[in-house]
Amino acid sequence: MHRSRVATLGVAALVLAACGGNGAGTPQKKTELTLYNDKGAWTKYFDEMGALSKQSIGLGMKPTGYTDSAQYQAFIKASFRTNVKPDLFTWQTGGMLAEIVKQKQVADTTAVWQEAIKAGDLSPDLAPYYTVGGKQYCVPMNVAYWGMFYNKKIFDKYDLKPPQTWDDLVKTAETLKKNGVKAFYHTSVLFSFVWFEQLMAGTDPDLYDRLSTGKAKYTDPGVVQVMERWKQLIDAGYFINPGDKTDPGDVLKTGKAAMVSFGTWFNTSMTTRSMKAGTDYDFFVIPNVNPALPKTSMIFESGPLCSLAKAADPDASMKYLKWWTTAQAQEKWATSRGDVSANPKVTISDPALGTVTKDAGGGKYRLVNRYFEATPPQILTAALDGFGKFVTEPGTYKEVLETIQKEADEYWSTHQ
Amino acid sequence: MLGRFRYGYVAPAALLVAVLLYAPFVWTAYLSLTRYDGLEPPVWAGLANFAKLFDDAALLTSTRNTLIWVIGTMVLPVGLGLLVAVLSYDIRGGAWFRVPFMLPYALSGAGLAMVWSPVLSHDGIANVLLGVDTAFLQEAPANTFAMLAVWTWQQLGVNCLLFVVGLQSIPREPIEAARLDGASGWRLFRHVIWPLMRPLTAVVVGLALVSSLKTFDIVWVLTQGGPGRNSETLAVTMYKETFVASDYGYGSAVAVLLTVVTGLASYLYLRRQVTAT
Amino acid sequence: MIRRAVLVLLGLVWLGPTYLLLVNAARPASGYDPASAWIPSGDFALLENFGRAVEGANLGGSLASTALYSVVSPLLGVLIGALAGYVIVVLRLRHGFWWFLLIFGGTVFPSQMLLVPLFVGYSDAGLYDSRLGLILIYTAINVPLAAFVLRNFYSGIAFSIFEAARMDGASTFRVFWRIYLPMSLPALAAVFILEFTFIWNDLIFGLTLTQTEDVRPVMTAIAGLMTDVYAGTPVPVGLAAGLVVSLPTVVLFLATQRLFARGLSLGSVQ
Repeated sequence: MHRSRVATLGVAALVLAACGGNGAGTPQKKTELTLYNDKGAWTKYFDEMGALSKQSIGLGMKPTGYTDSAQYQAFIKASFRTNVKPDLFTWQTGGMLAEIVKQKQVADTTAVWQEAIKAGDLSPDLAPYYTVGGKQYCVPMNVAYWGMFYNKKIFDKYDLKPPQTWDDLVKTAETLKKNGVKAFYHTSVLFSFVWFEQLMAGTDPDLYDRLSTGKAKYTDPGVVQVMERWKQLIDAGYFINPGDKTDPGDVLKTGKAAMVSFGTWFNTSMTTRSMKAGTDYDFFVIPNVNPALPKTSMIFESGPLCSLAKAADPDASMKYLKWWTTAQAQEKWATSRGDVSANPKVTISDPALGTVTKDAGGGKYRLVNRYFEATPPQILTAALDGFGKFVTEPGTYKEVLETIQKEADEYWSTHQ
Repeated sequence: MLGRFRYGYVAPAALLVAVLLYAPFVWTAYLSLTRYDGLEPPVWAGLANFAKLFDDAALLTSTRNTLIWVIGTMVLPVGLGLLVAVLSYDIRGGAWFRVPFMLPYALSGAGLAMVWSPVLSHDGIANVLLGVDTAFLQEAPANTFAMLAVWTWQQLGVNCLLFVVGLQSIPREPIEAARLDGASGWRLFRHVIWPLMRPLTAVVVGLALVSSLKTFDIVWVLTQGGPGRNSETLAVTMYKETFVASDYGYGSAVAVLLTVVTGLASYLYLRRQVTAT
Repeated sequence: MIRRAVLVLLGLVWLGPTYLLLVNAARPASGYDPASAWIPSGDFALLENFGRAVEGANLGGSLASTALYSVVSPLLGVLIGALAGYVIVVLRLRHGFWWFLLIFGGTVFPSQMLLVPLFVGYSDAGLYDSRLGLILIYTAINVPLAAFVLRNFYSGIAFSIFEAARMDGASTFRVFWRIYLPMSLPALAAVFILEFTFIWNDLIFGLTLTQTEDVRPVMTAIAGLMTDVYAGTPVPVGLAAGLVVSLPTVVLFLATQRLFARGLSLGSVQ
């Protein structure tokens, strides 16, 4: 009996010892902020930013990373109703931002934007993505421009150059096909929308914009034509199997496909695989399908970094956001990941990406909001599934468009 | 004298489960009767979400796939687990023969997808070995079977372990007596060992029933239910509707459906198995 | 002999993917090609890969917390579950089947749906981001499994053992602690292994209910590397991370092998 009591006490003691961790009741003046994010894999880079900010503005930062963005968003939304308040958090532009602004949860950053634009730290071109009802909210956590990463060795072998027109691109794909090389990567999981948005934006960017605001239908002739063109490309045998589970970084590296379309952040996948820009791989801007368009359309993606209106220490959070936009912060943030920056002053080490960023900042392209942010979640869910089905069975495109439109009808009937 | 004290023995278990598992689910059950996007206050919607269940073609696919998972789990991880347990439990060094089956269980879900991707890839190892040319995770219901194979690889060991515990708990005397009567091999197993290991068999089957009805992780890491929703299970549909599409009301309705089905299935199974033991 | 042959054959099939894991986790990060994934590389870069995966992440506190959760919660779960199983079967609690059903019912809820209400409840109760909070939820999840296994295990044990012990004047708790608990050691160990592995590999509760590096389970720090395309993690680095964090579970398997060898079982006592 005696031994059993000791054991019971032991377990109890362990439980008591376990009551660690930080409870509620945080002090009003913070010296370290928590940054909730859905980029759990970037913890290392966030930590480096935290160390740098502590040094330069005396305000540290610790990241709390999630790995599943759907679960992350549900958590953030739920936190609005509780006393667990993130000091800073990452979010999405588009409808998702408007939604939480409407709930009066997000702190107004209009002053930060005005100052940063005046100082040349942010381009005014970015502002529309962060504007809801005439005011700005959040600052850009990251930006990415979408284009084509290509395997330079394969291109050199067949004497191919980055295409200047859409026809060039198709010819390039045809040459590769004749030599037994698959031209393009695509996938049926999550990133199934990439070619849809690219073809839409390069054919009729206005229609694309109307589509994302519910003013056009997925069954409109313009959209159907885009799907038909996409189908032709698949039928021509330019794409790898969409069910291939190989990491796209390895697809490009091993030449399984010669070209992979992703945002500039994909550069990280190249550098972590010890590939050299300019010799192993390179990047080009995808030409418009419709050559008559005045500017080349470029898919653009930006993830906001936000703070709450009712943050524990609103001043500290705002101070942090302001620092985040500065050249010093952005230099570190971009170079550590081999990515581009929202701050035009930052020099990008990769020459091809540097040129794209500079040109995009200079208004050379028509920036088109990425499908993922441009489309309301409910329609997006149906669309990602639909495109996943389409790339597997291209013959189903009409049925796919109808399914997406059905979801869109339901959504816009209550959200106009 | 013992009367009331006995409830003290069962109370910790009942309380923990009630407060931390039942109570949160009440919230889900409530949400299934509302329209809710996670932000604006829930709006009462009556049975609208449940009505939608009957009008949803995707739910039919999910139900079919879930059924495949349930039956497949009984045949593969459970059936093969029993086989390995029976083959190894009483031979010298039997535990070491089981090590290869236990190792995969240690691997987490995300790691699982990474290990299997070169096998299941379009020009991957499985295609070479089987002499076919297919992307295993594309067509339904083949993709569910492919995932079931991966699942079997991971789960067999733990089912086997429970069967071994069941085999060990069998008293020796009846077996010795049967041996004296000349029973051996299949007959000994069928008529003496199998009935005696029934309590633990009920555990393995009961647990597999519940977990296969709730199949989520493996599908989420390998296909996210695609392409085009053709490999979704009920749990994946529930997750997508709730968290990805932010339709908490409908997602909760799927959750309630799934819970009722799981609860009913386990009740019917347990009533037969457990009350008999 | 046939039995051994079948076991070895099946075992070899099972070792195939395990081999892939080992070979590719040990491959230099830049040398991965899915088309030749089964050919081992001459270099051994496992530790280097793992180092790259955890670079900068403070795993120290995280590891200690994870170990705490995966040991304490299954211990509590097994004990509480065994007690429930014992009172239902051996002490013949009235309406025992319904009590059992109530406890087992804890497993039927899809865990993803518990996350948001648990988070809201935890933040109200001050349990958010506390080790106690995680131990509680992990224990609650483990109790039904333990109760089920031990309830059924005890139902296979002759009632005469209980009667004999009571005749000797032992209290019901003493009978549980000194006779039934030791007798069910293999079953307890099997449940412990299951629960340890579940908690060690858990992602969703760890992510949603904690925030501080020291409280968060280690898996939350590792998983993103393997799933997030933004991370651009080379496959060998992801695999090395997965392999190394699985080691404690493997060690636990190997250490408990002895318990599942025929002959040690006390369940056959009549």
